[in-house]
Amino acid sequence: MKKIGLMSRRGFIKVAGIACGYSVLGFNVTREAFAATLEFVGLRQQSVYNADSKIYSIRKSQDNPMIKKLYAKDGFLHEGPCGHKSHHLLHTHYNDRSAGVKALKAKGVKLAL
Amino acid sequence: MSGAKEKQATAKPAYLANLKLPATGSNVEMEGVNYKIAAPQGVDPSTLFFVQVDKDKCQACGECETHCPTGAIQEMHPDGERGVVDPAACVNCGQCLANCPFGAISEQVSYVGEIFEKLKDPDTIVVSMPAPAVRYGLGECFGMPTGTYVGGKMHAALRRLGFGLVWDNEWTADVTIMEEGTELLERVKKGDKPLPQFTSCCPGWVKFAETFYPDLNAHLSTCRSPIGMLGPLAKTYGSEQSGIKSKKMYTVSIMPCVAKKFEGLRPEMNASGSRDIDATINTRELAWMIKQAGIDFASLPEEQPDPALGMSTGAATIFGTSGGVMEAALRLAYEVLSGNTLANPDIKVVRAHEGIKTADIPVPNFGTVKVAVVSGLQNAAKLCDEVRAGKSPYHFIEVMTCPGGCVNGGGQPLEPEMLQSSLFHSTVAKINRRFNQRRVG
Repeated sequence: MKKIGLMSRRGFIKVAGIACGYSVLGFNVTREAFAATLEFVGLRQQSVYNADSKIYSIRKSQDNPMIKKLYAKDGFLHEGPCGHKSHHLLHTHYNDRSAGVKALKAKGVKLAL
Repeated sequence: MSGAKEKQATAKPAYLANLKLPATGSNVEMEGVNYKIAAPQGVDPSTLFFVQVDKDKCQACGECETHCPTGAIQEMHPDGERGVVDPAACVNCGQCLANCPFGAISEQVSYVGEIFEKLKDPDTIVVSMPAPAVRYGLGECFGMPTGTYVGGKMHAALRRLGFGLVWDNEWTADVTIMEEGTELLERVKKGDKPLPQFTSCCPGWVKFAETFYPDLNAHLSTCRSPIGMLGPLAKTYGSEQSGIKSKKMYTVSIMPCVAKKFEGLRPEMNASGSRDIDATINTRELAWMIKQAGIDFASLPEEQPDPALGMSTGAATIFGTSGGVMEAALRLAYEVLSGNTLANPDIKVVRAHEGIKTADIPVPNFGTVKVAVVSGLQNAAKLCDEVRAGKSPYHFIEVMTCPGGCVNGGGQPLEPEMLQSSLFHSTVAKINRRFNQRRVG
């Protein structure tokens, strides 16, 4: 594609006019889309709470028979939650990952934080 | 469950024989989003891009930047097209992708090719591990109204796809409550670890905390996320329960999320003796797989998961929404601390749509439990600054990266209006470009 500078004055006005029209139209479509997004997340959340109260017959984790079986005296995690085996299988540790962003900032990359 | 071992000898689903597998490295559009077929193995996930911008489709509008909590996506090219600057700054939440008006952002990691191969392999038992929020989005890909609950149909579809063990990540959401709730009670009673305790279920948030607030790592619950728990439990306890050797298992995490692909690759996730999570896909990819298999999703019956690692409760399913982990944990904490039964499990004060929500929960025989629920990492940063300054009054803080929680995750079906808008915008952009090329050339 060649430089825009080569365009005629009339050509420029035409392109600019069309671009303006599209951007106004486009802006409205986007705005509507984002307004709908808020409502749409609400619909999914509402469905979750409906299922919690209507579809699931048990509503507390500690009442789940398969949880009771897991932590039972002869169960797989018989030491109970946060026991030795739990710590090995179900818990973790975290790393310091700040070096990467420090290096980026040192290179002059601007980040939000 | 005892029949599961014989099940592997039975015929594989018929669709697999005629299925054309997507080639590694190829690009496939699934539910309006482009995916690169690539299944990384033994790679340090912090060097991978999980989302990236297609420069030719990007129209430099900058919408993605307004949804990015870290500023990782920004102007990268002379004409203003965006790109992800470096994986170190990206928490892989995929909110840029879900909100791009041009459909210009693609996913760079997809395991679907490898999963189909494993489904075909007679020596492998593929294990399903779907997250709570998947069942509130999947139906939308098959023309159902927004948010339709399709838990039973999802389990049926997984069986028909050829998953040998239909286990469910909701079960480990219940396990998470037992572990994380107990950890919180220990912190409150013993005082050996700092308060407030942050939740650790959300992989975008965990990477964000490790990257921008590493000094607060001790505040993060040491509990793995539910999927981080189901991987190792499937290959140990699940192996015991089903009689299937863990070496034969291939565990597939199915998530409403992009960042879970990062989490599954974390090198420390190998407590079972091998990789705890072999593959991670999201809701859109599962919908695509169901379509590839020619399954008529809407007419499927409702089926239950295989029980020992599949049965779940209402407390588990609400993990899918912002405030859900908190409410589920309080249903446990209330009973443990007070010694009373919680008659009505609805704790509506912690239900949150967006932003920061705080509440004081009075617990008999104990006192007041102070909690905060936050969705969106820019909001989380405010609470982190408070904790850093030693001014945080809370016991327990739930953080979700995506506004509204996992139901609005970066791996969920795109909102129809957004898809339409992106189709409209990209068509306009295409016309503009052709027009400009002709006029300007």
